[in-house]
Amino acid sequence: MKLEIRNVTKRFKQKTAVSEFSMELETGQCVGLIGPNGAGKSTLIKTIADVLHADEGEVLLDGQRISNMKREIGYLPQYPNFFPWMTANETLLFMGQLSGMSKQKLLAKVPVVLGKVGLTGEENAKVQTFSGGMRQRLGIAQAILHAPAFIVMDEPVSALDPIGRREVLNLIQEIKKETTILLSTHILSDAEEICERFVIMKNGKKIEDTTITELLRRNTRVSVSMEIAPKDLQWIQLAGELPYVKKIEVKGSKVEFTLENPQQQKNMLLKTALNHDVDIVRFEAGGRETLEEIFLNLVVGV
Amino acid sequence: MNSLMVLINKEFVQMKRDYKIIWLPLVFMFLGATQPVVMYYLPAILKALGGGQGITIDPSMTQQEGGHIMAATLGSQFDQLGLMIIAVSVMGVIQSDKASGMLAFILTRPVSVGAYIWGKVISNYFIILLSVSCGFFVSYLYTSYLFSSVQFSCVLASLFIYSVWVLFMVTFTTMISTIFNSQGIIALISIVFLLFNRMIVGLHPVLDMLNPAGMSKYAMEFLITGSAENSFYGNLVIIMIWILVTMVISYYWITQKKFH
Repeated sequence: MKLEIRNVTKRFKQKTAVSEFSMELETGQCVGLIGPNGAGKSTLIKTIADVLHADEGEVLLDGQRISNMKREIGYLPQYPNFFPWMTANETLLFMGQLSGMSKQKLLAKVPVVLGKVGLTGEENAKVQTFSGGMRQRLGIAQAILHAPAFIVMDEPVSALDPIGRREVLNLIQEIKKETTILLSTHILSDAEEICERFVIMKNGKKIEDTTITELLRRNTRVSVSMEIAPKDLQWIQLAGELPYVKKIEVKGSKVEFTLENPQQQKNMLLKTALNHDVDIVRFEAGGRETLEEIFLNLVVGV
Repeated sequence: MNSLMVLINKEFVQMKRDYKIIWLPLVFMFLGATQPVVMYYLPAILKALGGGQGITIDPSMTQQEGGHIMAATLGSQFDQLGLMIIAVSVMGVIQSDKASGMLAFILTRPVSVGAYIWGKVISNYFIILLSVSCGFFVSYLYTSYLFSSVQFSCVLASLFIYSVWVLFMVTFTTMISTIFNSQGIIALISIVFLLFNRMIVGLHPVLDMLNPAGMSKYAMEFLITGSAENSFYGNLVIIMIWILVTMVISYYWITQKKFH
């Protein structure tokens, strides 16, 4: 099962929400679609779920148009809305039957799925009494109920409190073992936790498509960072005159040194510091940028 | 086909949950009883209000046949207050699903747009037709008891003809509900359009031919004379075409995803 998005463009009246977006997804992958608000994530996801028609381009699942393959797709909208007068059980029976499952099969499957998403005991409660987290979990339940090959989730955790967020993240970790997942989020730590591959969007365009290890490797710093006691800050000026120090950046008591050849020169730098009797709180070489910094660089910088 | 059944079933459960299945027939039963009862007491009312001086209305002038009373039930009750109730009860069918996002959500499943619209129309038509029939039957009982009895076969034929006009009201309101997003606008357009159609009946033979409300006129005619004019069949074909047109427009509107 392979999902292909080919040159999808979607325009609203004046605004182009998604422009010439292409990507491919293989079975078993978990892809995080990241981007700032208004980048076109939701529009893209809606196009994939066939809620919106693409103006140009197409979305293919297994070589077939997505509109003919709806059975293989589980979709979780950003704000899953159900009929408030239905109970959790009825909602799943309804959605399951619409997905083409038989009633007998569903009667056996619904309790299992409700158990999986942690809604056991709430089967007969009306959806209108549910909290946001419970609705989200019911949304996930309906998305996995018919065992689709591919699940798309639009901001599955953005609207939840820390507890609900944790529960849903754990749930997605669980589902991920069995299905291909594409999820959108603007919270990077979430994506970092569950996805191996990232697609970063900005202004409707794909600006990056990479794995987390690759992203972090590429953005490894060649700098040395040091935290020193405030009384020794004048040493920095001395250090700045050293021949191998290219650049110095001071952030409070944190100092960042960019060296010509950090591998060899970091110890020399440390030695000078010790010679000057500098009070070192922390010394770190080859530090990494956090994903957040990388993201900001990519999105704001491009 | 299977998803159509699921959707119809869902509509019925919903109607049961918000008691539509009880109040809608009750309203029409009340409407059905109104005409014969008011007409029966009309002489007494006129006498009480008219007093002894000035112009008096001869009470015997208000004596009417059973067929006329039942025809008036259709013309004065069902086609006025009844029509508004039908439009109001149908105005939200698709609009509420659009507003809550359920329409888009349901269509992410392997459900055809046709099944969705048919599910809505069949279930709502069923409950409305049930209510109209109940009301009509109550009217029949009161009329037979208080006035002269009407031939039951004529009542059935008249109800059948009237039900085509009811179907048009349902599909038309459904179409307006698909296109517009505000309940107020939907109710206004539906009620004004349907009432207008009903009002211009009898104005001109060509207009009558094209007018879906013509069915109501034939239903009344059937009650009074026991038969309908030949133009009835032409009108029947044309109203069927109107019904199809409204359904096709709803279908087109949803498949083209113009509802977002």
